[in-house]
Amino acid sequence: MTGIVIEDVSKSFTIGKGSVQALSDITVTLPPGSFTALIGPSGCGKSTLLRLIADVLPPTSGTIRIGDKTPDTARRAHEIGFVFQDATLLPWRNVLQNIRLPAEVAGIPAVRDPRYLIDLVGLKGFEEARPSQLSGGMQQRVAIARALSLDPKVLLMDEPFGALDEITRQRMNMELLRIWKETGTTAVLVTHSIAEAVFMADTVLVLAARPGRIAQSIAIDLPRPRTLAMMRDPAFNGFENAVRAALFGDEVEAA
Amino acid sequence: MSGALARSGRFWSSGGWLGAILPPALVLLAVGLAVEWAKAAGLLPITIPAPSQVAAVAPAQAADLWWHAQSTLRNAALGYVISAFVAFTLAGVALSLARAERPILSIGVAIDCIPIIALAPIFAVWVGAGPTLGVVIAGIAAFFPLLLGAVQGFKATDANARELFHVMAASRWQRLRLLSWPSALPFIFAAFKIAAPLSLLGALIAEWMGTDRGLGAMIIYALFSFNVPVVWLTILTVCAISALAYGLIALVESRVVTWGTDAEAGG
Repeated sequence: MTGIVIEDVSKSFTIGKGSVQALSDITVTLPPGSFTALIGPSGCGKSTLLRLIADVLPPTSGTIRIGDKTPDTARRAHEIGFVFQDATLLPWRNVLQNIRLPAEVAGIPAVRDPRYLIDLVGLKGFEEARPSQLSGGMQQRVAIARALSLDPKVLLMDEPFGALDEITRQRMNMELLRIWKETGTTAVLVTHSIAEAVFMADTVLVLAARPGRIAQSIAIDLPRPRTLAMMRDPAFNGFENAVRAALFGDEVEAA
Repeated sequence: MSGALARSGRFWSSGGWLGAILPPALVLLAVGLAVEWAKAAGLLPITIPAPSQVAAVAPAQAADLWWHAQSTLRNAALGYVISAFVAFTLAGVALSLARAERPILSIGVAIDCIPIIALAPIFAVWVGAGPTLGVVIAGIAAFFPLLLGAVQGFKATDANARELFHVMAASRWQRLRLLSWPSALPFIFAAFKIAAPLSLLGALIAEWMGTDRGLGAMIIYALFSFNVPVVWLTILTVCAISALAYGLIALVESRVVTWGTDAEAGG
């Protein structure tokens, strides 16, 4: 299993003549096989951080290691799975073909049997369906199966269930935890939902904006497997309140 | 999920084969009957014949029509294909060299802004009024939609999909083959559909510059001999060929682009 080590990472974007600091001095270690949630206000750079890990963007300064590799090397070794906010399926490919895409691009046989993955995400019987024939939740399951098809060491998810309704979202979260446990991958989830962050993660990283930085790291000391019943637990509410306090600071008291 | 449901949904929405043909056919029939009636009632000038008059001259003209149509079709098709090659090559240059895109599109717009009817005599002086002129003018008429369709089509990839291919460490060729090309297909087919009647029109205009063979020449002959039914017969033939060319490309498109594009996906 592979951990992620982020050291003194900053990222600034040039906009016109000026430059905006999106992330400032991020230092954090995500242990192998852990589940980390990134939460923070809009513009705090949580999606940017995810893209830095995935080597979609280069950091302005600082280093990121995925296991003993740089993000670039890890990406080329197909060790990174990425799930976008919208499913980003290729509409001309059916479910099975979409899940096979990473293996096809890598030019290697799929590490995880696509049919097993379809089963894992609960889409048995939909192998031949086109994305346009699937609901939003089903499309996102395909996207997760696709991200897992080369058995990535890290699974990066950018608000994967943000567009789904509360009920589907909760169900998908349960499934995601089950899949994460089965695959042993190191998972990073960007989310807007406090309850989702607490429910899913070992550690919730609360980011603050302008410049994006880690305001607080909150260890979620709840037993696994997580169940819906836990959400009624006072301990769960305690963690939620801790995240809320880190997000809003004094505003909680004032309101 | 039922395939049958999806299929029946598609049947009602885009109508299938019969649904595509029937409404325009009924409209044409209604217009034809209305003109026939108006003609019989003496409401129409001598320059508009009754459809029955046009139909009456058709058998005698069939051989001539076919002989002329062959030439027009050949010129239009050749111009169309050459134009597609040139447009796609230039689109390739525009897409691989960011700085070249604006100049290339500007040239396309400039060419598109010059009326074909004004270009035809200039080219007639250069290449003569023969079949070559037909090919050249047909090609020019079809050029801009093809260029624009190719450039826009290949730029129409989803930003997230591009990131996905980056994360998958896809090569440039894989991106082109697996992402850009399929994304571009609906645009390219749209361009081909628009360009086909245009190249036919271009070939026709070229023939007005004084060739002796082609549907354009046939229209001129019939006009000068004031053979109104033959003028109309020729015009209707051109319309039919245009519609057929469009329909043929649409048919190929429906076989190739089998996924719902955004416009018709609807959940």
